[in-house]
Amino acid sequence: MLKLYDYELSGNCYKLRLLLSFLGVQYRSELIDFYPGNQHKSPDFRQINPLGQLPVIDDNGLVLRDAQAILVYLASKYDPSNRWYPRESPELLGQISQWLAFADAITATASAARLHDGLFYSEIDVEAARAGAHRLFRVLDEHLFFAEEEGQDWICPGEHPTIADIACFPYTVLSEEGGISRIDYPAIRRWSDRFKRIPGFVVMSGVFPAGPAATDRRQAVA
Amino acid sequence: MSDLHRKWYPIASSSDLPKRHVYQAQLLGREFAVWRADDGYVNVWENRCLHRGVRLSIGINNGSDLKCQYHGWRYANRTAGCTYIPAHPADAPARTICNNTYPAQEAHGLVWAGEQASGDLPPLDGFEAATVLRPVPVLAPMEMVVEALLAYGWDDSCSGRANADGSVTVTAADGAEVRLFVQPMDSNRSAIRGVSNQPVKGADRIRLLKRHSWLMQELRSQIEACASSQEAPPPYQPVIARVSEDLVDIPAIGTEMRKAELRVQVAGKEMTAEGIVSLRLEPVKGSLPTFQPGAHIDVHLPNGLVRQYSITNGPGETDHYRIGVKREPNSKGGSAAIHDAVKAGDVLAISAPRNNFPLRRNAEHTIFVAGGIGVTPLISMARALNAQGLSFEFHYFVQSDDHVAFKPQIGEYEQALILHKALTPEATGARLTEILAEPGFARHVYICGPGPMLEAARAIAAEQGWSDETVHFEYFANTAEVDDSTAFEVDLARSAMTLKVPAGKTILEVLRENGIDMPSSCEQGACGTCRCGVIEGAVKHQDVYLSDAEKAEGKSIMTCVSRAVSDRLILDI
Amino acid sequence: MPELKCKDPVAVNLWYAIAPLEDVKDARVQRSVLLEQPIAYTRNDAGDVVVWAYEGRPGDAPGDRALPVKERFGYFWTTLGMPERDIFPIPEYEEEDRRNIHAASFGVNASAPRLVENFLDMGHFPFVHTDILGAEPHTEVKEYFVEVSEERDEILASNCKFWQPMAAASSSGGADVDYIYRVPHPFCSVLYKSSPLDDGRNDVIAIFIQPFNQEQVRVHMLLSLLDDNSDDTQIRLFQQTIFGQDKPILENQYPKRLPLDPRAETPIRADKSAIAYRRWLSGKGVAYGVIPPSA
Repeated sequence: MLKLYDYELSGNCYKLRLLLSFLGVQYRSELIDFYPGNQHKSPDFRQINPLGQLPVIDDNGLVLRDAQAILVYLASKYDPSNRWYPRESPELLGQISQWLAFADAITATASAARLHDGLFYSEIDVEAARAGAHRLFRVLDEHLFFAEEEGQDWICPGEHPTIADIACFPYTVLSEEGGISRIDYPAIRRWSDRFKRIPGFVVMSGVFPAGPAATDRRQAVA
Repeated sequence: MSDLHRKWYPIASSSDLPKRHVYQAQLLGREFAVWRADDGYVNVWENRCLHRGVRLSIGINNGSDLKCQYHGWRYANRTAGCTYIPAHPADAPARTICNNTYPAQEAHGLVWAGEQASGDLPPLDGFEAATVLRPVPVLAPMEMVVEALLAYGWDDSCSGRANADGSVTVTAADGAEVRLFVQPMDSNRSAIRGVSNQPVKGADRIRLLKRHSWLMQELRSQIEACASSQEAPPPYQPVIARVSEDLVDIPAIGTEMRKAELRVQVAGKEMTAEGIVSLRLEPVKGSLPTFQPGAHIDVHLPNGLVRQYSITNGPGETDHYRIGVKREPNSKGGSAAIHDAVKAGDVLAISAPRNNFPLRRNAEHTIFVAGGIGVTPLISMARALNAQGLSFEFHYFVQSDDHVAFKPQIGEYEQALILHKALTPEATGARLTEILAEPGFARHVYICGPGPMLEAARAIAAEQGWSDETVHFEYFANTAEVDDSTAFEVDLARSAMTLKVPAGKTILEVLRENGIDMPSSCEQGACGTCRCGVIEGAVKHQDVYLSDAEKAEGKSIMTCVSRAVSDRLILDI
Repeated sequence: MPELKCKDPVAVNLWYAIAPLEDVKDARVQRSVLLEQPIAYTRNDAGDVVVWAYEGRPGDAPGDRALPVKERFGYFWTTLGMPERDIFPIPEYEEEDRRNIHAASFGVNASAPRLVENFLDMGHFPFVHTDILGAEPHTEVKEYFVEVSEERDEILASNCKFWQPMAAASSSGGADVDYIYRVPHPFCSVLYKSSPLDDGRNDVIAIFIQPFNQEQVRVHMLLSLLDDNSDDTQIRLFQQTIFGQDKPILENQYPKRLPLDPRAETPIRADKSAIAYRRWLSGKGVAYGVIPPSA
């Protein structure tokens, strides 16, 4: 069975839990004592990932690190509908890659600020990290505003969300733990609600579920 | 409160408020939770649950109410009144637990609010078919942003001018015009909100929006560069209003007198079933108080009579009350007055809703048993459970199809609706035995209907092992004969008074004669409003409100009908 | 000696846990903050933990601003003042068959009293710890007892019961779980939860809060369990999952400081322990991390 080296409070691990849940893929979580045990820096773990980072998967002997890379792999392999990572569309693949890189930048800023505030990563320049996250969120908010104007719900064009949405979601919705308010990003807040309503959505600690979407009123009995 | 607080500001675009979303806004330092109910109403509330201060913008918009993420408290559409406190599922929350709301209007594609706003919105002549621009937040004080906007433009012909209302108008030679408003979110954070007089569609619309979004962001860079070189003003410190004094202590059961405090207009009157009229009551002015499922109102009739009717509304239906009235063949003038004399457009006096029949929402499964007009409180309850997706079944005993009332309302939960038609009393008993066959963990029954059916249902439930606290019922009348022939004394423990209750008078009457405020409603031992604690003394219970267990316990008395067995009662008043 | 930024004598004269002992193994100088005062700590040549206050740069030894140190419950504690009372006891910690585990120290952008109140609160279980510590529709907070012990100067809430979906690993359905809560320190609390494995004995969970300032804290979480089945990692991660769920609630409370005015918020019966806590803080004159009642 697919094995995920996992830590509940990691937004990067959460990206994979989300996709696996959306796809209905069974997997086993190997819990890593990231904090306070620092197990991801232990010699044993560095033999699995020399970078000493989470997440890592082991799929029948294929060991992969890096959340974005694993999203690409899992969606390519386990999504027969081909919607989360549409391999046939060069345009979409280009756009998805662009937003996967953007998600990495969110990690480098919003996630860094969260680690600083929550887990005392004192070497991080938290003011710079917060400012960087705000710059990214301004871009994402404008992008999502115009997506809505074009009748689109997701980061990349099309009816269905892609792994770009998954990659951007966790550290965006956890940003307040790093002292980064999202009050100025209404389009991001609406996209978060839509994302939480994707069938198969699961929460992590720090992320609340959305309520049900509006449905048409049931017709009265005669 | 400064003049700033009396002004209207745009705080959101209409498109910021899709259904089932909570928008987070800020004005002059105070945060708002802004949400659109399924009926379209826009709620602008303080962004703070009254219980523990948690932001409601992280809560859930259920379409009819807003649920706080922390303890699941529910606040109703429009009234912002708390309708449910899950930690105490058996209690009706005190009606006065009400969130702070602010004046709001929706116009020109914008949502306008102000802490104490009054008067008219800024006029927007020529913008009737406008395009709302993408708002752009700026980290700078409002005055600085307004000044910079005077230089805003999209071609060389543009010129800006400041308006008296604080907004800026930018006009181009070709007649294109943009009105720009600055929303002071905090002392050093503002939002530019604009409308263009170009009613464009499709690709032109996107082009227009993108063009302005780009230009405003360019301007923002300049403004923010300027603002960051200056010392930031200290943030606003919005005052946190204190909650009303009666909420400091744990809320007691109803504390109002029998008051006709509200005036409502009969906005609709129609027959909903054979012999049953449905009335839609709308406020003459202002809004109606929050109700909970199971609540009733006193209706003061033109002929001077006062009658109690249950509210049938679902959650979030807060702009009117709907009641059902059955024509009683031996009416003393109550139901006949409504059927014959009251007409659409009439104004009636009613009391605020009172809930002596609270709905627990912590059951794993709920069984409703309605007989005839007894369906009304149960409709409101079932609609609440249905909206929350909780499990229930709804049994409705009627004479025939023509007697089924409130079809549109019960149609909302047709999957749970089971009609039982034209059954004899024996057949009804047999059916009730089937319905109540399975008591179990966290299962509750609510019964409302004619006295004999209610008695039968209670007896059957008890036989089948339903405990007293899982069976809830409401009589609409106490048909038992009340004996008022005894005389006795009551000691009021908290008021340090001793009063004599003579034969022919009720405890309630004697209390009132002596200036003691005691709420009441039906005054025949059915509704539970005049309930009072008993500290000492044996009670002769003559009501139909208390359960047998409660009667046996002897800790409560219905002061409108019940009396003392002993010479003396000590009451907790 | 420079003046302290914290002007609340009650807060200054308390003991605070600063770090688990397992984090102070060597002579590396580590930094922290207590009541807005920068502090540094290390283990000296003699093998003792030493703590000192500093301004600017910490240096590598206490100098003339050494602070008192006590080791208790697996943490070292210090104070900026002169506490009259010793650190409160947790007798269960010493029992031989228990596993004492430092679960985590988390930074939270909230005030210390808001954390204590959340720790005492059961009503949020079904909504915040959904399907773990509670589940709708089982939302009722039943009556419980609260007393303030004059002699021990602490709050005790007992006979607390809450329905939990996974009351014990061995049970298939839900059941009521018993809790007892203590507040023996304005910014610390200890809870006792009926052990699924040993009838009549309790698992113990404690939080020790170190205020960085009035609106930012570090919370240290100690577990003292009778569980032999789970490994330390599982136990820690479970506790972190729970706390991670509380965190966004705590960081979204407004105002951040706990208002002691009884009319600032709306208590219900379920909040008896919180009401007692607010009164107890008022009575002590605690001013740090709270909004004192208006005169």
